[in-house]
Amino acid sequence: MWRTNLKVALLGLAVIGFYTLIAHIIPQLESEVPEVLTLGADASPEALVEAGERMYNGAGACSACHGLGTRAPNLLTGGGGLGPIGSRCGERVAGTPCKDYLYESMTEPGAYVVAGFENIMPDMRRQLSIDQIWAVIAFLQAQGGEVTVTGADLAQDAAVSSGGSMPVAATPATASTDPQELLAANGCIGCHQLAGSGGAVGPSFDGIGGRMTPAQLRQSILDPGAEVAEGYDQFAGMMPATFGEQFTAAQLEAVVKFLAELR
Amino acid sequence: MIDALTLVQAAADTTGAYGSFPGIGARGAVWIAAQVHLMFAAFVLGVPMFAVITELIGIVAKDSKYDKLSKEFTRLLVFAYSATALWGGLLLFLLTTLYPRFWGHMARVFGPSMWLYAGLFFVESFTLYLYYYGWDRWKAGRAKWGHWALGLLLNVWGTIVMFIANGWLTYMMSPPSGVTAETLPEQVGLWNAIANATWMPINIHRLIANAVFGGSIVAAYAAYRFLSARTAEERAHYDWMGYVGNFIAISTFIVLPFAGYYLGREIYEFNQQMGITMMGGFMSWLWIVQAVLIGVLFLAANYYLWIGMARIPGAERFRPYTKWMLLLLVVCWIVWGTPHTMIASRAELAAMGGSHHPFLNILGVMSAKNTAVNLMILTTFLSFLMYRRANKRPTVAWAKSGSMIEGAMFALAAGVVVFYGIYGYFVEAIVRIGFSVYQVAAVLACIIGVTVIDLFVLRGAESRGEIRWGEMPERSQYALFVLAITFTWLMGLMGFARSGIRQHWHVWEVMRDTSAQAATPALGAAANMISLCVVIFLALVAFIFWLGGLAERAVQRPEPAGGA
Repeated sequence: MWRTNLKVALLGLAVIGFYTLIAHIIPQLESEVPEVLTLGADASPEALVEAGERMYNGAGACSACHGLGTRAPNLLTGGGGLGPIGSRCGERVAGTPCKDYLYESMTEPGAYVVAGFENIMPDMRRQLSIDQIWAVIAFLQAQGGEVTVTGADLAQDAAVSSGGSMPVAATPATASTDPQELLAANGCIGCHQLAGSGGAVGPSFDGIGGRMTPAQLRQSILDPGAEVAEGYDQFAGMMPATFGEQFTAAQLEAVVKFLAELR
Repeated sequence: MIDALTLVQAAADTTGAYGSFPGIGARGAVWIAAQVHLMFAAFVLGVPMFAVITELIGIVAKDSKYDKLSKEFTRLLVFAYSATALWGGLLLFLLTTLYPRFWGHMARVFGPSMWLYAGLFFVESFTLYLYYYGWDRWKAGRAKWGHWALGLLLNVWGTIVMFIANGWLTYMMSPPSGVTAETLPEQVGLWNAIANATWMPINIHRLIANAVFGGSIVAAYAAYRFLSARTAEERAHYDWMGYVGNFIAISTFIVLPFAGYYLGREIYEFNQQMGITMMGGFMSWLWIVQAVLIGVLFLAANYYLWIGMARIPGAERFRPYTKWMLLLLVVCWIVWGTPHTMIASRAELAAMGGSHHPFLNILGVMSAKNTAVNLMILTTFLSFLMYRRANKRPTVAWAKSGSMIEGAMFALAAGVVVFYGIYGYFVEAIVRIGFSVYQVAAVLACIIGVTVIDLFVLRGAESRGEIRWGEMPERSQYALFVLAITFTWLMGLMGFARSGIRQHWHVWEVMRDTSAQAATPALGAAANMISLCVVIFLALVAFIFWLGGLAERAVQRPEPAGGA
């Protein structure tokens, strides 16, 4: 009997080993995580192009469609005698500079679909950060054209996203007065935890009603720099001071009431 | 400023979100627990399907052989259930301790369904115990039908349990369109989250795959018992059991690719980028490995049938055809395993003169692959038909016409498959995709039509001699082992494909994986994990089989006279 057991075990190991071997001898492709770019306002065009190329061929997965030219236009070779994208992006839509055209292509891909292709591209803002998108644009411009993306484009977006010196449109993110919807629509959960979910840049909303009065909550929303919560000194200044302009009075009071009741 | 904010945010997001596991890391630990749990779950969901069918055949045909077979299937389940629950518990603990933020999100979205899941698991377990331990008590008359109803109920509970869990995992792949990274979990409607884009395709695919998997494991069990049998009667019983298990595995396996097409189509419908990642992106080579495995399955299944025909009087007349069928299977296997497009560097593209290989390009396209796989299905069906007809001599007056119609249906189906395979090279991609539907429809129509005609042709047929069950060469049983191991490995591979297309997302475009192991590994590394899972699962299954034999021997051993 032991001989049968041995034969069965060896057969099993041989079959498993064969499949493992096959999987090892084919090309080894790993799906990368998009790298966090550390480019700032002083980033050179070369650095942007280099970062964009890594994103284009790696985590951005752009080449899966744009590399073949069957599912989406081949941006590097052009195909059909069109030439690479950098040489023609400024002429795709009359009056739209290359940089703007490419930005729109990545963030609103359905706005202009090249004839002969389907509208299959997703909004890349769901996959990549804005500075990663700008880096990809710089790389695409470099394909036969002039790179006009600069570090200033990244800095401008940084200022907008962090509530810095750039003017922010004082319009409500949502018309709703549902506090949970307001917290979600205004990105509060990105920095504050609620029911165990969310970031840890600001104090947790869980139990905040027991720690702060409604007046303190109101002040923290309208003037976040007035008093920084204990233990969060290193994040001081990160919360936008624009909610007084973004919220309607009813929305502000709904959020304050909701937070005050979280005990 | 943005750099600092991004880094701080990433660090804050990750703080407390992940635990660590020694040696293999958190992902490795969850991978193994999830995969082995899933393999056992597939077994305990698949086996009851044909336990209840074979019991029904036994009742209707009044043949105790089927009843015995059904009970033997069920005995394996009793042990396998404990293993399923243990691995499920381990998976839950690992998710809670290693991925608390992710699991917290899932629990807040799916909480009530998790309670229902646990409750149904209890009910399912008790139904199984009643079903198995009540076998000899409720064995006649209306009580037997009541017993059979318990088996049916067992399948119902199991299917609901699987559908609930499928809701969780498909939500991770295809969350409802309105759900974004900013959406609070409490704002996601429970039913909306469960009934997502890929839920029903996965339900159908897994339901069929479980039957395939269960059948192959039962056949492997029978093969082992056949090899260790000491009497001719035992060998005959386990030979027959192996045949039934294999028949169920292969006959359900034949329809599995169609469920796969449906799932693939829904993935593309949900998100083109995800679909392209799966079929043409970094996972494109996975399908070559899949083709290798499925080719082995077709070859092993046909080989088992052809060897089995040696114990059937009258089968000699079909033997000359098998070498041509083998040739066709091998050619189709090679075509199916031919790569087409791949991610290539600029230098590689230049070397090939484009994105496709100048020669392999012709064989590597879907037109050729669809043609190959459909011809393999037709060939395997023909093997079954030959096996079935081997010892029968039709007596109906129209037998010759019936056989000719069957032959014509085969020829027509093969003609349609080849025609659209060639025509596909001359039309646009969007038109070509539609051709696969015609090919599949032709093959399915042939299978159904020929089966129905054959049932009538062989009604009242004379026997050329009884099948000599037990007179099977030992090498045939190793084919059954190869089938079971390959199905298990294939399940691990497809699990990696389904999970891997989410890439660095816990929940696609809703919750990022910000852990150190967020990158989706290449196939080599994934294969190592799959093989490890398969070895663990098969080792445990071997232990369960051994336990089953031990329990049986304890029952059969007579009590010593006079007692202790």
